[in-house]
This record gives sequence, C-alpha cells and structure tokens, in this order.
Amino acid sequence: MARVKTQQLESLIECLNQKRHEDVSFADVVSLAEITAQSMQVFFETMDTAIYREMREIAEYIERMRGEIGALQADEIKKNRIPMAGQELGAIVKATEGATNTIMECAEELMAADASDVKAYQALVQDKMVVIFEACSFQDITGQRIAKVIETLQNIETRVSRFARALGNSSGAAGAAFATEQERARAERQQRLMLHGPQLDGQAIDQNAVDDLFGGSKPARPECSTQSSIDKLFK
Amino acid sequence: MALDLSMPVLVVDDYNTMIRIIRNLLKQIGFQDIDDASDGSAALGKMREKRYGLVISDWNMEPMTGYELLKEVRADPGLSKTPFIMVTAESKTENVIAAKKAGVNNYIVKPFNAQTLQSKIQAVFGE
Repeated sequence: MARVKTQQLESLIECLNQKRHEDVSFADVVSLAEITAQSMQVFFETMDTAIYREMREIAEYIERMRGEIGALQADEIKKNRIPMAGQELGAIVKATEGATNTIMECAEELMAADASDVKAYQALVQDKMVVIFEACSFQDITGQRIAKVIETLQNIETRVSRFARALGNSSGAAGAAFATEQERARAERQQRLMLHGPQLDGQAIDQNAVDDLFGGSKPARPECSTQSSIDKLFK
Repeated sequence: MALDLSMPVLVVDDYNTMIRIIRNLLKQIGFQDIDDASDGSAALGKMREKRYGLVISDWNMEPMTGYELLKEVRADPGLSKTPFIMVTAESKTENVIAAKKAGVNNYIVKPFNAQTLQSKIQAVFGE
C-alpha cells in the first residue's frame, strides 16, 4: 500500500518536474497534497504503534518494579529485621561476656584458694564447678539467637538478590561500589592493614604447607596459617 | 636475652576478656608485673613511660593496630629491641610474613592455650 503511494508520489513529482516552466494546475497541487497526506498517514500509523508498544513496555516495567520494590519490603527490613538482628547480636555479646567473666572468676578463685584444707578446698571446687556448668548454658541461648540472625540475613539476601535480578543487575561493577565514604575508608583500612579476621575451619593451611612456602616448593593452600605452620617461620 | 620473670610485660588487646586470660596465663608462668593497653597508641604511650621486657599484642585494634604498633616500636631507637609477640586471630600467611618482616619475635594464632604461650615466650628468650 505504502509502496503504491510512493510510486504515485514519484510519478507526480516527475510530471511536475517536466512542467517546471509551465503553469501548474490546481488539480495537480491538490493531487500532490492528497498523495503526500496519505503517505504520511501510513508513516504516522507505524510510528504510533511503535511508540505505543514502547510506552506499554515501560508501563509494564514500572509495574513489575513496583511489585519488586514491594516484595523487597525495605521498610520492614530497616525498621524491624536489622534492628532485631542488632539486638540479638548485642545480647549474644553480653551473654558470652557474662559467661566468660563468671567462668574466669571461678577459675581465679580456685587458683587463689588455699588447698591445705582439703575438705574445704574440695567443697569450693565443687561449688565453682556447678557455677561453671551453669555459666556454660549461655551456649544454648546464643545458638538460638545466632540462628535468628542467620535467618534474617538469608531473608534480606533473598529479597535483595531477587530485586537485583529484576533490575537486570547481576553483580559485576556494583560489587566494587561503596554506599558511603565511611564504608570505603573502612574497606581501604582493612586492606591496607591486612585485617582479615578469623578464618573458618578448613581454610587454614597446615604446617607442611607453610614449610613448603618458605622452603621453595609449592604450598598446598597458601591462604592462612595454623599455629604449627607459623612456628616453622620462627625456627 | 634471658627470660626474667620479674620483668614488666605489656598486654595489648581491645577485649578485656582476652587481656584477663593472657594476664592469668602469664601469672601462671610466673610473671607478676603485667600492664595492659587497649590499642597500639595506648601501648606506645605506656612503652615510652616504662621499659617493658616483653610486649604481647593483638593485631586487629582501633585506632592503632598491633601491626602498626610493631612497626612504630621497631622504628623507635629506644624501643626497637623490645621482644614482641603477636597474639591474633589473623591467620593468613600474608599476615604472618608481614609481621615477621616488620620484626615480630613470634606469632600466636587465637585461640591458643597456656602451653603455646609459654613455649613462644621461652622461644623468644632462647630457652
């Protein structure tokens, strides 16, 4: 259809070109205007459809994002889950500190006790052992508290991951970004001063691997050291 | 340098519990004059006021880490000979090597026991 109109338009222009030095009739001008308008109509119809499709896709994307933002429940995370996790961790620190102090107090009392009176010393030891056992009960409660914190972290991780996927941002450059200057400074300090913190079990290399590291052969897992592997460095 | 149990020892850690543990272990070994500091800068201040025969320091502290303290101590002519043992949870090989390069006399990974502490102290003093 569009091709027919274009052909008509071309032949009309050709005709007008041939009549360049002659008077152009009103009918020719009207025909030209009519064909041009019809040709443009097809163009505008095509453009309308493309724009409509684009707008519809944008609207769907916004709708989807709205749903994802809702599912993220950032407000709930900020108001409830993170403060709750902070409180649980605070309680863990307090409980472990309290238990450690109790146990150490018992140990210090026993170390300072006079053992010459055997019966009195035995009674003291038994009393203190009971106190130590009681203090160790913190482990059960802290274990449950830690489980709650882990659950919170997993929940946040799931929501954020889904949101990131919906945005089409898997990881890449975002991984290197810092939310605040404070965060950046902290990360830089940790790197500069080699602050890695405790390593998990199984991530440490053994004595032989460190020996190899210093002896010239290839280490098995040159990531971190056990006490025995460190000893070799100081011999 | 021989091990003298009457010499003052400085324990540097930001956790009171750890200071208390090391203090008790040192007492068990026989040390009596034991001071403590909560970070590298506080330790440096104490070291410039009192001559310590041994420093036992954690690595990860704020504002000054044990590693920074070690470098400061080794760079100070008045303190550079002080025996220095690092007691830390930092168990990566790069930490151990960096500390050794900076002049640490021995390195203990947390958690540790009394025997480890005693043997490292003895090793530092050549016993």
